[in-house]
Amino acid sequence: MTSRQFLVIVAIAQGVLLLALIILIALNRWVRLRRSAKVDPRRIELDAVMQRWVLGQADAAAVAHALGSLPIPFIIDALVTWSARVPGERWRQLSSQLEQRWWARVLRGSSRSARWWKRLDCARFLAVAATSHDTGRLLRLLRDPHPAVQLAAATTLERLDSPLLVAAALDQLPHLGPTVQAYYASVLKRSRPAVLRHLMQLFRRLDDPRLPRIIEFAGRLEEPVLREPFTTLATHLDPEVRTQVARALGKFPHRESVAALSYLVHDEAWPVRAQAVRSLGMIADATTLSAVRDALRDSEWWVRLRAGLALTRFGPPGRSVLLAAEVGADAAARDMAALILGLSSQALAEYAA
Amino acid sequence: MNTLIHTTDVVILTYFLALNTFYALLLVLAIPEIWEQTRLAEDEDFQRLMQSDALPPITILVPAYNESATIETSVTAILTLEYRNFEVVVVNDGSKDDTMERLRQAFELYEVPRTYAEAIPTQPLRAVYRSRTRTRLLVIDKENGGKADSLNAAINASRFPLVIAVDADTLIEPDALLRLTRPFLLGARIAAVGGTIRVANGCMVKDGRVTDARVPRRFLPGIQVVEYLRAFLFGRLGWNRLGGSLVISGAFGLFRKDYLHAIGGYRVSSVVEDLDLVVRLHRHLQRNKIRYEIPFIPDPVAWTEVPESGRILSRQRERWHRGLIAAMWQYKGMLGNPRYGRVGLIAMPFFTFGEMLAPLIEVLGYGMTVLGLAYGAINTSFALLFLLVAWGYGMLLSIWAVVLDEVSFRRYGRLGDIVRLLFYATLETFGYRQRTVWWRLKAFASVWKRGQVWGEMVRKGFATPS
Repeated sequence: MTSRQFLVIVAIAQGVLLLALIILIALNRWVRLRRSAKVDPRRIELDAVMQRWVLGQADAAAVAHALGSLPIPFIIDALVTWSARVPGERWRQLSSQLEQRWWARVLRGSSRSARWWKRLDCARFLAVAATSHDTGRLLRLLRDPHPAVQLAAATTLERLDSPLLVAAALDQLPHLGPTVQAYYASVLKRSRPAVLRHLMQLFRRLDDPRLPRIIEFAGRLEEPVLREPFTTLATHLDPEVRTQVARALGKFPHRESVAALSYLVHDEAWPVRAQAVRSLGMIADATTLSAVRDALRDSEWWVRLRAGLALTRFGPPGRSVLLAAEVGADAAARDMAALILGLSSQALAEYAA
Repeated sequence: MNTLIHTTDVVILTYFLALNTFYALLLVLAIPEIWEQTRLAEDEDFQRLMQSDALPPITILVPAYNESATIETSVTAILTLEYRNFEVVVVNDGSKDDTMERLRQAFELYEVPRTYAEAIPTQPLRAVYRSRTRTRLLVIDKENGGKADSLNAAINASRFPLVIAVDADTLIEPDALLRLTRPFLLGARIAAVGGTIRVANGCMVKDGRVTDARVPRRFLPGIQVVEYLRAFLFGRLGWNRLGGSLVISGAFGLFRKDYLHAIGGYRVSSVVEDLDLVVRLHRHLQRNKIRYEIPFIPDPVAWTEVPESGRILSRQRERWHRGLIAAMWQYKGMLGNPRYGRVGLIAMPFFTFGEMLAPLIEVLGYGMTVLGLAYGAINTSFALLFLLVAWGYGMLLSIWAVVLDEVSFRRYGRLGDIVRLLFYATLETFGYRQRTVWWRLKAFASVWKRGQVWGEMVRKGFATPS
């Protein structure tokens, strides 16, 4: 073949492809229009049936039937939307009713699909319609290689009480990024007893490199029963663990927390000191005022800032300490006190947030 | 002479073939990416996430220089974004107009002491302000130091672990921040995320929001719509599968602040600060063997006004290309260097040879074709056929980008807009492309002459519904 012939073939192929792309645009528009004309009335009908069911004027079977007339992505969307509006027990009735439907069986079967978006559909469906029979499926989805599937599966924990699933989710937790951890914390709140049992076991693994992340997560739960393990971990060798402990203890106004924080405020690592002094400010125990005042003279700027902000939470005694520091001998403490006293209450509230 | 022409022709043809094969590869790679991203973007659970405390807090950095006309609307629009936990740091970079005064009046600013360490050195600050009406707002007034310097000042003042740089004239869609954080929710190794920039010219804008997306009727902004679609919808999506792009638009990109601190923030002397930043980010992370991703996701959208006059557009394109040349030269040690992984072996060579040198090769190609025709070394009909194929290929890529938008996000609902897009995609190759080549060529002459400046942009303003 000559180069001219080659170019002619390429030019013809380009022309055909151009035409195909334009036809694709037209076809895409036509298909969308046709689909919405077909599906929209059914969605309106489903909403009406759901409404009647919520008011007790229709049974769950009618809802399941109306759902069955929609394509699967629309079923999941409708279930997600309505699940937020219907009380738990009533919704569980519908979940049980859906177990027998052919399309629900298809969706459940997708948990083993090789395509991640099929598994995601399954996880989203189970997040609102799982029953106790789905534990095995959910365990698999929680360990799915695709993070979107994991996340959707974790959402199930808001609805389904299962110690097994909680343990699986908590095992995953240290491997997750901070944002995902925070999301897990929010969905695991409902399963608190099972979560706490498992956390207690995890706290015993002192050499576990995942410990800081576990403490960070546990701190978010603000559960009083966790205060004791936190105080025990205040002497841990890893400064990251001590920082997380210092952060978590600020949420527990108790004399043992105060004792642990008073110890941590002298830590050799400045992030631990900064966090400890912040937590002392959150508790604002009068006996710790001198420790916070001393922190105002710390060699690290961030610790001094946290100490200054903490003092504002002690009320008039804290303010007196700041006023004294503002005219005191220590230059660093003087600068920080001047800075803090110059902040408006609005700015202080922002910092406290 | 004929041998020289022949040899040059072979080199140019090989270059043309290699480059277009790579573009075709990007295009092919963009298809599964857009499929995946569309599936994730459809997630109804976003509403649930919006009400959750899980979303990471974000600091929005807004550098402003002589933005008096638009600053109030822009900042108000940013402050009303649908996101649970964010703050806005506006930096007035020593504006010569009354930008600062406008801010002071509009948001009832009051001066506060600086309560943070200056981690990245910047030009001296004049004052720091908070707002009586908007607690999320912090305004910094500083000596003029350029956009990069302003962004560094904003990074210093930011409190949150993720920062996003936004141009004061950029209109961010209400749920864009929420969407932009999706990779942080789905992956643990995200260093930065880029979103899509679209052209706001011709669109209806109300209260700082695009309410009706339209394709502009005017030729220059219309053609830029196609260019932006092509750059974002298949260029950057394709790069997701090749180790990440070197470009996250400075007008809309979310970064991990600790990494920005590690590389010393934006480089003040760079011509195009966003490209420079991302290349340095790649370099730092690769050197330190940190596993990371810098993905682009198409569904978070920010709208920007593009130049409508050839004069301003030429300056913008020249500046962009100057920045590219400067960055490629500055970081030439990464080129083809296996130490930098796919960035060194794929992205850097592509941006050097496929982007930076492209205008030189294209002009050389035009010149050689003319010479070849004059000396009879090239057959006229063959040259025309080659030109047709080359132009047809460019047209095909542009139309493909339009198709990708049409089958995924469908921002332009009207049939008239699609017809207009196809029209611009067809015409781009005839005249406009050659003009951009000339603008980019000029960058080679001026690359060592000028330093970092604020890009000049004459704002026409957005159309508002009657």
